[in-house]
Amino acid sequence: MSSDNILENIFTPFQECINNEQDVREEIRNIMKDIEKPLREIVTTLQIIHRTHNGEEISAACFAARELFESVRAGYEKLDGVVPAGQYYRYNDHWRFATQRLCFLAALIIFLEKGFLVDKETTAQILGLHEKSRLHLDLEDYLMGLLNLATELSRFAVNSVTYGDYNRPLQISKFVAELNAGFRLLNLKNDSLRKRFDALKYDVKKIEEVVYDLSLRGLVPNRGEVVE
Amino acid sequence: MSRNRNSRHGKSKITVGEKGRQVLENIDENNRVIKMFLGFRKELDEKHDRYEKIVKLSRDITIENKRIIFLLHSTNTDIEGKREAVLDEACKRLKVITDENFKTIASILKDFDSYQYQKAYTSGLQEFIEALVFYQFLHSNKIESWESINKFFQYEQDGEKFSLLFPQLDFILGIADFTGELMRRCINNLGVGNVSDCFKTCNFVKDIYTGFLGIINPGAKEMGRKTYVLKQSLAKMELVCYNIQIRGSEIPKHMLVNVIESSDMNTEEDEGFY
Repeated sequence: MSSDNILENIFTPFQECINNEQDVREEIRNIMKDIEKPLREIVTTLQIIHRTHNGEEISAACFAARELFESVRAGYEKLDGVVPAGQYYRYNDHWRFATQRLCFLAALIIFLEKGFLVDKETTAQILGLHEKSRLHLDLEDYLMGLLNLATELSRFAVNSVTYGDYNRPLQISKFVAELNAGFRLLNLKNDSLRKRFDALKYDVKKIEEVVYDLSLRGLVPNRGEVVE
Repeated sequence: MSRNRNSRHGKSKITVGEKGRQVLENIDENNRVIKMFLGFRKELDEKHDRYEKIVKLSRDITIENKRIIFLLHSTNTDIEGKREAVLDEACKRLKVITDENFKTIASILKDFDSYQYQKAYTSGLQEFIEALVFYQFLHSNKIESWESINKFFQYEQDGEKFSLLFPQLDFILGIADFTGELMRRCINNLGVGNVSDCFKTCNFVKDIYTGFLGIINPGAKEMGRKTYVLKQSLAKMELVCYNIQIRGSEIPKHMLVNVIESSDMNTEEDEGFY
């Protein structure tokens, strides 16, 4: 076998394969910019919860965030046309992180609006990942989003006390306790989700300390009952 | 920690974590969140089990391939009949691996995105390529293209067609590993005084190395590592050829190997099969 044959039969096709893959990745990266822009805007919009007690302002922020999700859905729609069929996990590095954050934001909006934990199906609908031909919402990304939500809520609990909302920490406490109980049911492998879950106990602890401080001073409204 | 605070406040029943405990006490199987997570647990467990199953299958494949590679090294003999017999046996055993071991993996994954599980069998696949390419080299003195090897991974059962995902990267990395075997063979050739094969093998590896140098692949760390090992193997082989040329007339061929072995080239990174 001459050296030309080795190059021609083995390495040239391989380089072609790499080039094709790079092209797809480039296209995905470009679309991700369209998704990451509204993502950042939703993040900043929702930061209002740490500054105000005003329910109207918060629902206005939720509304604005929901509008921004429109662009997110458009982005995933485009992405669905670019990712080759059956190769979700070949390229998902590009959108995994953004998807996790969007899951967190969707869960935060639902928590603020309705007070309960968003299910996976609804999350997929908010992100625009339901009933797609090639894309779907990966369970682990959704779970990662929920863990991020717990962290955000621990901060929210602290800040809501600062502006005098003593009911909110109780609601958060119940919510996160349930979430924690849920996560404890899972048999996690030694992966990133597991590591992230290990940090959940700090969020739980912080929220419990806030509730404790309130209880101690008799600031808990209708002690033991949470207005949902 | 909660105990400390509790004692500090004497009679007060309030403790840190009380709220959480209350919630946990009231949670039962009918809780919406718990129900959701029980579903997630099932889904995650199934995925992990499937992954582990493939890892185990891949491990078996790796072991068998290491044995085949060891067997192929014994073709380094002058007896033509024995050489043929060894090649025949290796061919049969390689066929068993594609037709049984890899088929099992393919049938487990046929309804899933194989890329999700590809890491679970990548080492078995690379080891298989190493053995297969070694066999092809000994048998017909060439390497088949990825396309023709990929045909081995197309299966049909009960009228249903399915295939195993065979990434080109694994093919190339398998070839990189294979050059380590060629290096070993080159030295063994010298040991039995088969000098012409030494040059032939060395040239073959040079061609492969040239191929590796021409590849531009961002984001494949493993490629870089293996190219480095390949470079070292090749350096060792080039030194062998150099020694044959320059000292070949001075000492008997079979003693040359001692000269090379004693030079401090330590490139045994690939553990091989013992």
